[in-house]
Amino acid sequence: MIPSDPEALDALAAEHVLGTLDAREAAEVNRALPVDAALREAVARWEARLAPLAGLAPPAAPPDDLWKRIEASVAKRAPAQVVPLRAVASGAAPARPDRLWKTWSIGATAVAAGLAAILFLRPADPPRMMTVLLTSRDQPAWLVEAEGGGLRLASLNPRPVEAGRAQQLWALPPGATAPTSLGLIPESGQARVAPGIVRPEPGMLIEITLEPPGGSPTGRPTGPILFIGRLAPATGT
Amino acid sequence: MTLDAAGMIRGVADGEAGALRRLYDAQAPRLFGVAMAILRDRDAAADALHDAVVKIAARAAQFDPARGEAGAWLAAIVRHAALDLARARGRETPTDDPALGDTAVAPEALDRLLETQEADRLRECLNALESRNRQGILLAFVHGLSHAQIAARLDLPLGTVKAWIRRGLARLKGCLA
Repeated sequence: MIPSDPEALDALAAEHVLGTLDAREAAEVNRALPVDAALREAVARWEARLAPLAGLAPPAAPPDDLWKRIEASVAKRAPAQVVPLRAVASGAAPARPDRLWKTWSIGATAVAAGLAAILFLRPADPPRMMTVLLTSRDQPAWLVEAEGGGLRLASLNPRPVEAGRAQQLWALPPGATAPTSLGLIPESGQARVAPGIVRPEPGMLIEITLEPPGGSPTGRPTGPILFIGRLAPATGT
Repeated sequence: MTLDAAGMIRGVADGEAGALRRLYDAQAPRLFGVAMAILRDRDAAADALHDAVVKIAARAAQFDPARGEAGAWLAAIVRHAALDLARARGRETPTDDPALGDTAVAPEALDRLLETQEADRLRECLNALESRNRQGILLAFVHGLSHAQIAARLDLPLGTVKAWIRRGLARLKGCLA
């Protein structure tokens, strides 16, 4: 349990930074950090307070081959960010995700349209398509723009991904019965979907779901929808 | 090309070619030292630094220079990667004596802290704590010792160590405020 009492919360943050929490407590803090702003603040202040102590560890030369290993791991992760995970066979839509999308997108579309008007006052030529992905509480989270036959995403409110989970991007073109995976969202808050995976068109639903590391094992959304929006022309009516 | 850590982290976030390598070359000895002090095993420390640099590459865009110093941000990621490994290796048992021997950072080592304003304040405030209290905090932060390991090393009951550390941190906070 993450305490709500400010003093207890601060004590927990202090021991997290000091490193004295046991594995279970540390995992609990790591799970809470992305969603608990007060805890994040307290941890950041303790990191700043104790940071000079890291200078007490004598420097040491790392193994020569370590960079190669790091480079390989980073390269392996990078392409997964914008490359499609796997083809999704078309067929009957699974009942659950379909129903969710319909009920959720009604209110969200109106809010997104309002935000679109605010964000895109500049005239665009040719007409652009965009949407703002909203949380379940209609908070704007991602700006999605069609660009050069692909999509460009920018986080409006970067937040860390829940530890041990991945965020997967999906598109559902109008009339389609199953969403297409567009790949995993990188932690950097910026992402690009290469042209050719889907053809952006007005009315296309875009959503991000929470999935196991490496993405949905079934090729369809399996976790909760975190953010959703509907692509619409950014100018004109 | 910027040589300061903050500039290099920004380069990584922007996807600049070679930025991560430059950051690694400039910071690896310091960061590997941080991991070694906690894990005291070159293979384990290399694993921790590997995990940390992969995280740094992924999270570079989240670094906000207005909220903290770049070197501290990097070291914190490495420390937590090393602590996670130490936990996975079962550090909670006091019998798993970390056998620090003479390699443990002695309280006098505080004099080695950088001559920055923040480090000066922290040194003053740590020196104002009771000696065993101060030593417990150093053993935990620098060497990644658990409550149980600190208790074994300082020959104190576990409950006493927990209470001392909690109180020491509270005093430190008050002193640094």
